[in-house]
Amino acid sequence: MTDIIRTPAAPDASFHASDEAAARLRKRRAAETRLRVYGILAISLAALALVALMWNIVSRTINATTEHYIAMEATIAEDEDDFLGVVKDAAKAAFPYASGRRERRDIYGLFSDGAADDMRREQTEGTLVAGEGIERRFLMSDTADLYMRGTFGALEGQATAGPLTLTEEGGGYRLDAADGAFSEALGRAKAGLAREAADWRAQARRQAAGIETLTARLPDLTGAERESTLAQIARFEAERDRLNGLADGLDALVTAGRDVQIDLTNRMASFFVAARGGILKLTKVSADTALAVPLVPVEGAGTAPDGAWSLRILDRPEIGRPVKDRQVAILETLKAEGRIEEVANWRFFSLSDSTQPEIAGIKGALVGSALTMLVTFCLAFPIGVMAAIYLEEFAPKNRLTDFIEVNINNLAAVPSIVFGLLGLAVFLNFFGTPRSSPLAGGLVLALMTLPTIIIAARAAIRAVPPSIRWAAMGIGASRTQTVFHHVLPLAMPGILTGTIIGMAQALGETAPLLMIGMVAFITAVPEGITDSATVLPVQIFNWANASERAFDMRTAAAIAVLLLFLVLMNALAIFLRKRFERRW
Amino acid sequence: MTDPIKFRCEGVNVWYGDTHAIKDNDIDIHDKSVTAFIGPSGCGKSTFLRCLNRMNDTIDICRITGSLTLDGQDIYARGIDPVQLRARVGMVFQKPNPFPKSIYDNIAYGPRIHGLARNRADLDAIVEDSLRSAGLWDEVKDRLDAPGTGLSGGQQQRLCIARAIATKPEVLLMDEPCSALDPIATETVEELISGLGERYCVVIVTHSMQQANRISQRTAFFHLGNLVEYDTTDRIFSTPQDERTVGYVSGRFG
Repeated sequence: MTDIIRTPAAPDASFHASDEAAARLRKRRAAETRLRVYGILAISLAALALVALMWNIVSRTINATTEHYIAMEATIAEDEDDFLGVVKDAAKAAFPYASGRRERRDIYGLFSDGAADDMRREQTEGTLVAGEGIERRFLMSDTADLYMRGTFGALEGQATAGPLTLTEEGGGYRLDAADGAFSEALGRAKAGLAREAADWRAQARRQAAGIETLTARLPDLTGAERESTLAQIARFEAERDRLNGLADGLDALVTAGRDVQIDLTNRMASFFVAARGGILKLTKVSADTALAVPLVPVEGAGTAPDGAWSLRILDRPEIGRPVKDRQVAILETLKAEGRIEEVANWRFFSLSDSTQPEIAGIKGALVGSALTMLVTFCLAFPIGVMAAIYLEEFAPKNRLTDFIEVNINNLAAVPSIVFGLLGLAVFLNFFGTPRSSPLAGGLVLALMTLPTIIIAARAAIRAVPPSIRWAAMGIGASRTQTVFHHVLPLAMPGILTGTIIGMAQALGETAPLLMIGMVAFITAVPEGITDSATVLPVQIFNWANASERAFDMRTAAAIAVLLLFLVLMNALAIFLRKRFERRW
Repeated sequence: MTDPIKFRCEGVNVWYGDTHAIKDNDIDIHDKSVTAFIGPSGCGKSTFLRCLNRMNDTIDICRITGSLTLDGQDIYARGIDPVQLRARVGMVFQKPNPFPKSIYDNIAYGPRIHGLARNRADLDAIVEDSLRSAGLWDEVKDRLDAPGTGLSGGQQQRLCIARAIATKPEVLLMDEPCSALDPIATETVEELISGLGERYCVVIVTHSMQQANRISQRTAFFHLGNLVEYDTTDRIFSTPQDERTVGYVSGRFG
């Protein structure tokens, strides 16, 4: 025996104290420090990304937590059935000066269909207060609401000095002030003209480029071809000169002195003058005088003393925003009168999807997600756990079970959209499961989640110490009793962890649900697992694609709701896990 | 030494795959006494022990031939339910392995699944009885709801013994029950085993020759899968017949 064991050489006393050893030690410590730094860096980066994400979502979600109302007097009959008419009549009474069709349309555009819906709902609930001259609030439209939040920029107040004289001229007023009161407006208007001139010149350069190309081609051409090319060149030249002429004309205005009068267009910033109880919009401006039309009526011609009038600028051109100058003027007046109310937006949680963002809510998607998750859990959890138990505890080890095992692992890596296609082909087309229903969605997601649950459950079952199995079998427990009385309870925390990972994945899944029609626009809250429904991630996807700006904040809010749903689900899983763990 | 024979084993062979772990052994194990299996590591004593309650059935690659009878009945016969057999032949393992449940539930589990108790009072009686038999009652009677895993190592092992007793077995198999315990706990458990030997057929695998000497009436010495010598403990330790036994008990190898 002893001849195969070699006695180690006597240790060199100085070996671990040599310079080489010290160098090795330094190297090892440096490597360890580096690793620690990398780790800290990675964690910091991840934390930073998380904070940025949360900040982004929360800051946008905050906007969706409130909604704006306009308070007006309305006349509502006891058995009213035309609530849109009620809103229009109230608006007509509140803004009597808006008499033309376009003015009226601008006014009606301030209100949402939700204002009428509110009254209809109150009527059904029996809480509607009817009568004449009822003071109530009406929901604002999405664009007006966005203006109130400053989405289209805020009105910038301009310092003004001296009195302002209003003289009637044409359909509006001529405004006269002193000391270059309008010079800031003039400057902005000129900047707008300069931008326009630059646009014209850019177009002229394109014409010039065309001319150059055609001229280069000329020497090779003969006959009719040459004639038509020459004609085309002439047309291009004329267009170039016209465009340059337009630009020159604008540039002349830009470089002109302070007394030049500039016509204001809807491509330039909007200029509002608040004076003599109304709001005027400038249509022509020079440094000291301007022409203006009243948007909110003024008390006729006269002089507003120093300090009793103001000039305000909305930098974004009217053409570039959905809220018109007249609406801006009215909203500002209402705000000054204290008739705009901002209240908590519970509507978001009580309504379903809508084409109008201000009355679009998350409830349908939330209920849809909950129902889909219920179906997914009820299918995937028991089947997954049973499959894991069978494979781990009862199945014989042979080629067939090896094959099944490999395939389960492969299924976990199959792209989710493939499961969607499978759902479409099998559940919808073959079994006739209702389209867009939580049942179909839940079936597909259950298929997708099954491998995750099976793999996690098998790992958890395998991790139960064999001594527990022996103990149970040693006192005469059968295999089934051993598994269900001892192994499964001990594996449950691990199984639940795997399940929650699978469920969280399923909750956030969009692609397979697109395939089975859950992307449809559905305004009703599903009442069962066979009703048409949508789910949170699909709702987010739809809203993110919507063209209305106001869906922006609702998308963020929906994301927040989805995250909250996830957190709640995880919290539930952690709670359950802790309960099972206590039995150790 | 007139105890009746409980187990009669003839021509027992065990293979793990291609490994021949037990080679054609005959042994008779007597009732109401303690039989110790000793031998160096890997000699097959634990394997042989596990044949007695068919725990080896759970190992896929394990193959057993020969005849093992319990009270004259072949335990590997077709009609025998191994689960039922294990209720008759209880087992205690090397490492204490109480269930992660309360002390009460640890003991009550066996009686529950075998239907030994008709009501709660019966069950309480069985639990108390078993814990008293294992000498644990006085230490745990005030905390039967405490987790079994919270006890000390020696207490856990006695809990496992109590658990084995609770199913009213005829035989108790013990696979190195004291190897994970400190000397004081070992002493307690040894006393317990000696006492149990008066009521049950106890078979114990041990590495400690002193232990075998102290608690057993008969000792079997295994070496490389062979039963080398089987006799009363006194004779094995005083006048061993085989050279290998002499070497082992005198501490020259193993």
